[in-house]
Amino acid sequence: MTAFATRTLDTLHLADDDLRAVLEGQRCLLLDGGMGTMLQAAGLAAGAKPELMNLTHPEVITSIHAAYVAAGSEVVTTNTFGANELKLGEDATVEEVFAAAAKAARASGARYVAGDIGPIGTLLRPLGTLTFDEAYNIFAREARAAAVAGVDLFIIETMTDLLEIKAAVLACREETNLPIFATMTFEADGRTFLGTPPEVAAATLDALGADVLGINCSLGPQELRPFVQRMLATTSKPVMVQANAGLPHVENGETVFDIAPDAYAQAVAPMVEDGVSVIGGCCGTTPEHIRLLAPLMESHQPSPRATQPAFTVCSAQTAVSLPMHTQRIAVVGERINPTGKKRLQQALRANDIDYVVAQGIAQQEQGADVLDVNVGLPELDEVELLPRVCEALSAATLLPLQIDSTNPAAVEAAVRRYAGIPIINSVNGKKESLDAILPLAAHYGCAVVGLTLDEEGIPATAEGRFAIARRIVEAAARWGIGPERILIDCLVMTASTNQDQALEILRAVTLCHERLGVKCALGVSNISFGLPAREVMNATFLAAAFGAGLDAPIMNPGSARYMDVVRAFRVLNGEDEGSRSYIEHYASWNDPYRGGASAASLATSSAAPADSAALSRGAGTETADASNTSPANIIRHLILTGRKGEMRHATEELLAATDPMALINEHFIPALNEVGELFDAGTYFLPQLMASAEAAREGFEAIRRHTSAAEVATKGAVCLATVHGDIHDIGKNIVKMLLENYGYTVYDLGRDVPPATVLACAREHDVRVVGLSALMTTTVPAMEETIELLHAELPGVKTIVGGAVLTPDYARAIGADFYAKDAAAAARIVEELLS
Amino acid sequence: MGTQAGNPPLPHGLAELHRYMSADALRPHIDRAEMLRYLGYNGQELEVALAARIERVAAELERTVTPRGIWQVFPVDAQGTNAAGEPCIRLAGTTVELDGRDIFRHLKDAQGCALLAATLGMESERRLRTQGGQSPLDAALLDAACSAYIEAAVDAMDSEIEQLAATAGFARNSRFSCGYGDCPLEAQDAIVTSLNAGRLIGLTVTPNHLLLPSKSVTAMIGLFAGKAPTTSDRPTCAVCRLAGNCSFRTRGTTCYGRPHT
Repeated sequence: MTAFATRTLDTLHLADDDLRAVLEGQRCLLLDGGMGTMLQAAGLAAGAKPELMNLTHPEVITSIHAAYVAAGSEVVTTNTFGANELKLGEDATVEEVFAAAAKAARASGARYVAGDIGPIGTLLRPLGTLTFDEAYNIFAREARAAAVAGVDLFIIETMTDLLEIKAAVLACREETNLPIFATMTFEADGRTFLGTPPEVAAATLDALGADVLGINCSLGPQELRPFVQRMLATTSKPVMVQANAGLPHVENGETVFDIAPDAYAQAVAPMVEDGVSVIGGCCGTTPEHIRLLAPLMESHQPSPRATQPAFTVCSAQTAVSLPMHTQRIAVVGERINPTGKKRLQQALRANDIDYVVAQGIAQQEQGADVLDVNVGLPELDEVELLPRVCEALSAATLLPLQIDSTNPAAVEAAVRRYAGIPIINSVNGKKESLDAILPLAAHYGCAVVGLTLDEEGIPATAEGRFAIARRIVEAAARWGIGPERILIDCLVMTASTNQDQALEILRAVTLCHERLGVKCALGVSNISFGLPAREVMNATFLAAAFGAGLDAPIMNPGSARYMDVVRAFRVLNGEDEGSRSYIEHYASWNDPYRGGASAASLATSSAAPADSAALSRGAGTETADASNTSPANIIRHLILTGRKGEMRHATEELLAATDPMALINEHFIPALNEVGELFDAGTYFLPQLMASAEAAREGFEAIRRHTSAAEVATKGAVCLATVHGDIHDIGKNIVKMLLENYGYTVYDLGRDVPPATVLACAREHDVRVVGLSALMTTTVPAMEETIELLHAELPGVKTIVGGAVLTPDYARAIGADFYAKDAAAAARIVEELLS
Repeated sequence: MGTQAGNPPLPHGLAELHRYMSADALRPHIDRAEMLRYLGYNGQELEVALAARIERVAAELERTVTPRGIWQVFPVDAQGTNAAGEPCIRLAGTTVELDGRDIFRHLKDAQGCALLAATLGMESERRLRTQGGQSPLDAALLDAACSAYIEAAVDAMDSEIEQLAATAGFARNSRFSCGYGDCPLEAQDAIVTSLNAGRLIGLTVTPNHLLLPSKSVTAMIGLFAGKAPTTSDRPTCAVCRLAGNCSFRTRGTTCYGRPHT
């Protein structure tokens, strides 16, 4: 655990009082304009590293800075956009470039020197290859170098990845006490290349502690204005804009821009009126552009701003914002929690993250607004697992996450690496809990759920719960966490054992709401433990809790009945304007209280496996061939024609009379073999092979639901990986699917897997067969390295390789034991090796 | 300081940086036959449900993803040698250096090289990743659709280049990418930075020189005053290192869709 101090303007190192006034929103500040384009005009080749010119031609750099100072810039920005260790490589060290750059900037006579930090240039996980911690270390080195070189503030700019800018802001915060200006870059569709909209950028940067935040690059000032307005409405911190001088293009070998200085200044002026207080320019702007901006700033007091306070959490793509003075509902999906869920426990123990992700996707489609994530099982390492699951969910769903753990180290590991503003679930009134969790929420800008329990347990009365809630709110305030970042959970007790408390809970919600001004959460379904017709009880309690002021029910969005209550209440509280989505949803509603069958299906819609609800699958609806109606024939037919829609039912019918292993070995496997032969003969092509595999998988899922793990013996284990450096894993995924269908346990290590990880997995699980894929020639050496390591350390292990650039000869040359030309061939080799 | 071009300047209209961003109505069309070819289709009988699923994936991709691209023509310098003393191609005014005999043959007689980069963007990458873990079949269909889609976008840029070049009196040869023949992938880094493709279209390169988003293309087209050499006017298996073990060729076709000879 890290020890944190709160960060305020008083703890910062500020060059002077004027800079402090800028951060307080009391003073305007004029930055400089483009550097890169000025350098290209001076003859820098496209693709060359401009940062090296700090070392080779410092006088050229100083003269550009000086031209901006002469034009009125109070701040010049060091020529260090790409001065990170990855981009500089062997050409120079980060430290010498920042030292030279700051010296060149200082020599211009500028009032303030800003240390410039641009994107690393390598994409972060989950879509890219760089880890958050690697990115953090790269930025931390830049931040230290800039601080040593004596800059007055940081400008982190042109970022498109919210996680990357988070790493940069945290690095600057944790390594220095200098002010941080941070901007992201948006395309004409109003999002960054990675899908972040302005509200999410503003809310997250504000929460992370950026002192000034805003937008730079990509578009001209006129196009940026609506995006800037959205930021101004989201944050009360000072907002900055550095627009381009239009879209860059080349004329006669020189990059030129569409917007002349006077037009540029005219387009910036309305943004200053809107409340922007820090301005400058980006690509294509020149000292002349800046000279014409100066009058906009001179003796201008920043325009007053009006932001509505709100409880705001966000993923990198989506903000969920509940205004403080209006009741709005956010459904927190509770399904990713292993308590009482055997299949999820099994998946977590088997490291089957894809299953967990499917639960998240399903809840998103069912109408959740936030996903609770709890992976706490006694034997699992939560500190390692929780951030990994959160990363996978962030890649696959758009919803903000609520990080749910009793282990503060696991909470920190997850929230630190989360792109957005997460909710921490939870803190409570115990001193130990307040001391451990509130510093984390403060440092990482999280929202937090506060449980109304303390050392004495859960009070029975509304007043008792309220008293603890007040203590939590007060303690949070000491860490700079306002009521707009807190959800109080008044803790639902079971009506069957604590009947007298049901209304007390609701009264506590009302008290917290009205007297503390906080939003409230409740784990609704606890109310009905031990009672029949639990959904009836839960839905009724949910409706009553909304009436008492509940904002964030923690519930199963897969329950149609609960979502009925949510949709109806969103009409009553005015959230569903004109009842539009209510009408749309219930236009052809069948009253579940009339007619038995539809009632049953409504009440239990959550019982369907989450992954089938999550995915749009085009299963055929025609029934099985009438001439082959014996159950066994139907199974064969469904697998051969790839019809998974009917597999569950057909499998369950057979299970009533057949041993699960016999069902697999005598029905599934022969049908899959037949499909494999059809594929080899060219009668089937790949999608048909895979559709058959899908159908078989559906059957396996049915068997797994109806039998204990012990009854379904595994045929052996295989480890699969796409090798280090390679990101193309589609072939590996197909092999995985086929092998699982043949009854093998598959340890899927994913893509970009280092050799040591493959070895560790093979060793830990006593795996005899390892499958490796690589698509590109540049990553085959990593495959060779992995094979060498495996053969040296685990001589009994056989390796199978595949991938577009491999050939049988090539496979032999790199020492592989087997070459598989496609997924079906890989499955056949495994069958031979493990039979 | 960077290299200064010693070559004669390119005609006006060719030296500019061009952006390709199809308006919604003008998005390129995914060639369904090509998508099927990527999936290994060879005339098999398609179940109705599977055919509908393939169509849905393609249509959804066309509806929701906009390809982005940029291109620019640079003068070709074929006089220099690389660090190993071998002849290489340089694009004047950039840091691009292209090694290998195949690209040298492709560009040595060209006056200009149109350097292009195109991508389907991070949303395509995110979907491919998500579906890979959830539904491998949908992922395979999406992968093939994305390949056909980026190819269609590059084809559209390709014909823009051809038209502009023709107007300026230049003929062109075929598109050539890093990884063809003996042209190393390492050049991707300089191509992407020289086109400023990170900022302009969100294209990145991994430490192993792979493009990310993975459904992206960079390519070089040689431009010749007058008539282009005929030997290299269309793609061929001759420069492909997979030719001996190619699943397309065993089915009597090629990855670029023509029967091989």
